[in-house]
Amino acid sequence: MKLKTYLFLLLIIPLFSFSSHKYYLSLTQINFNKETKAVQVIINVFMDDIELALNKDFGIDLQLTTKKELKNNGIYFKKYLHKKLEFTINNKIQNFNYIGKEYDGDLVFFYLEIENVENIKTLSVSNKVLTNHFPKQQNLIKVKVSKKNKSVLLTKEAYKTSIKF
Amino acid sequence: MRKIGFLMFSLFVVCSAYGQITKQGHVNTNKFKQLKQELPTPNLERTASGKPGKEYTQQKVDYVMDIVLDDANTKITGSETITYHNNSKDELEYLWVQLDQNMRAADSKTPDISPNSIPKKISKNRFNRAFPEERFDGGFNIMSVTNKDGSALSHTINQTMMRINLTEPLASGATFEFNISWWYNINNHRTDGGRSGYEHFKENNNNNYVIAQFYPRMCVYDNVEGWQNDQFWGRSEFALEFGDFTVNITVPEDHMLGATGVLQNESEVLTKQEQKRLAKARKTFGDVVIIRTQKEAEKIEKSKASRTKTWKFIAKNVRDYAFATSRKFIWDAMAVAINGKTVMAYSLYSKEANPLYGDHSTKAVAQTLKTYSKYTFDYPYHKAISVDGQMGMEYPQICFNPGRPDLPNGGYSDRMKYRMIKVTIHEVGHNFFPMIVNSDERQWTWMDEGLNSYMEMLAELDYDKDFPIVRGYPKNIVKYMSGDQSRIAPIMSKGDNVYSFGANAYGKPATALWILRETIMGKELFDHAFKTYSQRWMFKHPSPADFFRTMEDASGIDLDWFWRGWFYTTDVTDIGIKGVKKYTTKEAENTVEFVEDTSNGLGFSKNADKYHYEITYEKPGGLVMPIIVEFTYKDGTKEKKTYPAQIWRYNDKEVRKVFSSNKQIESIQIDPDLETADVDTSNNSFPKEKTNKFEKFKNKIKG
Repeated sequence: MKLKTYLFLLLIIPLFSFSSHKYYLSLTQINFNKETKAVQVIINVFMDDIELALNKDFGIDLQLTTKKELKNNGIYFKKYLHKKLEFTINNKIQNFNYIGKEYDGDLVFFYLEIENVENIKTLSVSNKVLTNHFPKQQNLIKVKVSKKNKSVLLTKEAYKTSIKF
Repeated sequence: MRKIGFLMFSLFVVCSAYGQITKQGHVNTNKFKQLKQELPTPNLERTASGKPGKEYTQQKVDYVMDIVLDDANTKITGSETITYHNNSKDELEYLWVQLDQNMRAADSKTPDISPNSIPKKISKNRFNRAFPEERFDGGFNIMSVTNKDGSALSHTINQTMMRINLTEPLASGATFEFNISWWYNINNHRTDGGRSGYEHFKENNNNNYVIAQFYPRMCVYDNVEGWQNDQFWGRSEFALEFGDFTVNITVPEDHMLGATGVLQNESEVLTKQEQKRLAKARKTFGDVVIIRTQKEAEKIEKSKASRTKTWKFIAKNVRDYAFATSRKFIWDAMAVAINGKTVMAYSLYSKEANPLYGDHSTKAVAQTLKTYSKYTFDYPYHKAISVDGQMGMEYPQICFNPGRPDLPNGGYSDRMKYRMIKVTIHEVGHNFFPMIVNSDERQWTWMDEGLNSYMEMLAELDYDKDFPIVRGYPKNIVKYMSGDQSRIAPIMSKGDNVYSFGANAYGKPATALWILRETIMGKELFDHAFKTYSQRWMFKHPSPADFFRTMEDASGIDLDWFWRGWFYTTDVTDIGIKGVKKYTTKEAENTVEFVEDTSNGLGFSKNADKYHYEITYEKPGGLVMPIIVEFTYKDGTKEKKTYPAQIWRYNDKEVRKVFSSNKQIESIQIDPDLETADVDTSNNSFPKEKTNKFEKFKNKIKG
């Protein structure tokens, strides 16, 4: 196969004059509350992307924010996030609770919580949310521990980061 | 004497502040610095008011074309006579023609400028498309370029452009007529992408054609760019001249066709019954009349005519030409009254798009024409068509839209319905920007996409007051604007070179206009200025400066600071409250003394007639924006105060402002209605909210 043909890849991306959100970005905000010993995680993703990913992965039809929205869909989101996310604090993998989700415009916000955290020296995040169905997906991680703010941009290939405090 | 004393005092202050002699100065970096260096110097073609000047000219290009569709081989063959009117004051040594289809040629450089890498795993379909044995050749095959008398005309092809080498320069005011004939292979836009092409249906082996950029067409020549000399790489769209088109399109006899222009031979191409239904539709306002039914279309698509027929159109004063044709098309229509004039709203769709298109397409077209006409100018053309083209692309009087039923029972979800209506409004709306207010899309995507995305919101809300708007509100753009700065470009960037195309060229400028209308200028002043811009530049070529200048000129509001921040930088809004000091007053004979109340919170330890709050506002964000403050009194009532953005002109980081009231304040909130796209609201309230977004949500869930 000729090298030239490799370069064809990008030509197949549809070129629309109407553009829907057309960029693939999620934001994960992580905040450590020392008083309650809780790590609070808020993730926002584009609704149409997450819907497509879950519909394909679980063979369901979510129809979020419509009258026909699939009931009790929380179990799928919970399952999905547990599969795609991993938090490691001070070299120990942490369990997290799925608190719930809410919708805002074209975004879905997920709320997750890690309990009983005394302190954070290192925090590792592995985030594969949406990267399977959207190869261009980028997942931005913003962490706030005491007064330190750090942020890292994760991609399909570089889906893991380790942050020291 | 007192004055001298004050002068001496100020001198002392100045000298001590500059105790060390400053040796380095600086240039003006004030956020309110006027845009003189960014905007071109006004001239007699484009005035300082943003209006076309006395000497404004633009070229005119007329086309006479014969186009033949070869359905069996998915091929188009064409010949055209181009009449180029040099209305400029310049002599032209050569002319430039655009060959957009060469972006799809086998030797196109478009794939060569796109970096890629080897993925770990992709689907077989995708692999075959990405790594074909042989690349699809969809470029133009130019068969001849000739003078009026048929003699060969010298020309040079440079990728997606072709230079016509004139033997003698074309004088100002003169006209040049020449002929081109060509053919090309049509791309399958469902598998290969594109802004034009065919969709193939296995059932009955049929194709829906949505065809554009199918003919060699003139580049724009003007006093801003000279000849538009930027290649068509695929993303940044088009710059085109207005002119008159006479087009004959030959397709299989059993096709239904829609195109730019007024159909000249209705009785030759439509059945008697279709003509009767069309006549009825022309008088039917508010209801959709079906001209070719689904049942009829289903019957027609089962066979294939061996003969052809030719559809004849004349389109006056359009900047481009497109058509859609298929034996599968259903056709419906509705008359729309625009200020006393009747405009026809049409839809062409295959059965696969029904019932979605039948229910909503033509109605969405009609709504767009009504709303846009209200805010800009009366739609000047006779029709607007929406085609089930399964993309989102706009052309004069015709556009190709996405959306098909998505439910197992053949129905459609709300999301699909709203997406289809949204895109239809968007694409039909493009008739106004850029088909009539004809900006240069190749240079400035935002000038048509941004303005159109803003107008689209108004039409959506007119269509359905609960329309789920997902782009254009300030809060929708926060995620993009607060993202990784290395992946964000200012709006004033060329479309080919920006990251996050949709947010950069559609979402952010639409939001900027929304903010101007709702928060900075007010509806009345904004609407008047926006209408003035639209009417000044309809059927002309506006540049960004013409827009910026007109919006200020017609409203009496200096907006240079807004354009500078929102359009020329990637700065973000973040305004907060740093602290509050509280005072009451004590009167003596000739003076009033302010006494600070140092108790915690906003309450006062003693009641008084008047309470004075000295509030320090901070601005970690780079954008200057108005400070919108809501004061909630202890009795539960609220008062809102807006300080114009100019409050930041002396200090870009921090300002103090006194608010006095005869009631005590309980809390203060900045931007309570999320009007400014503030990227960090954690500093927006005083006293600082103890519970953050996460805790509020958790409490709500617990109930």
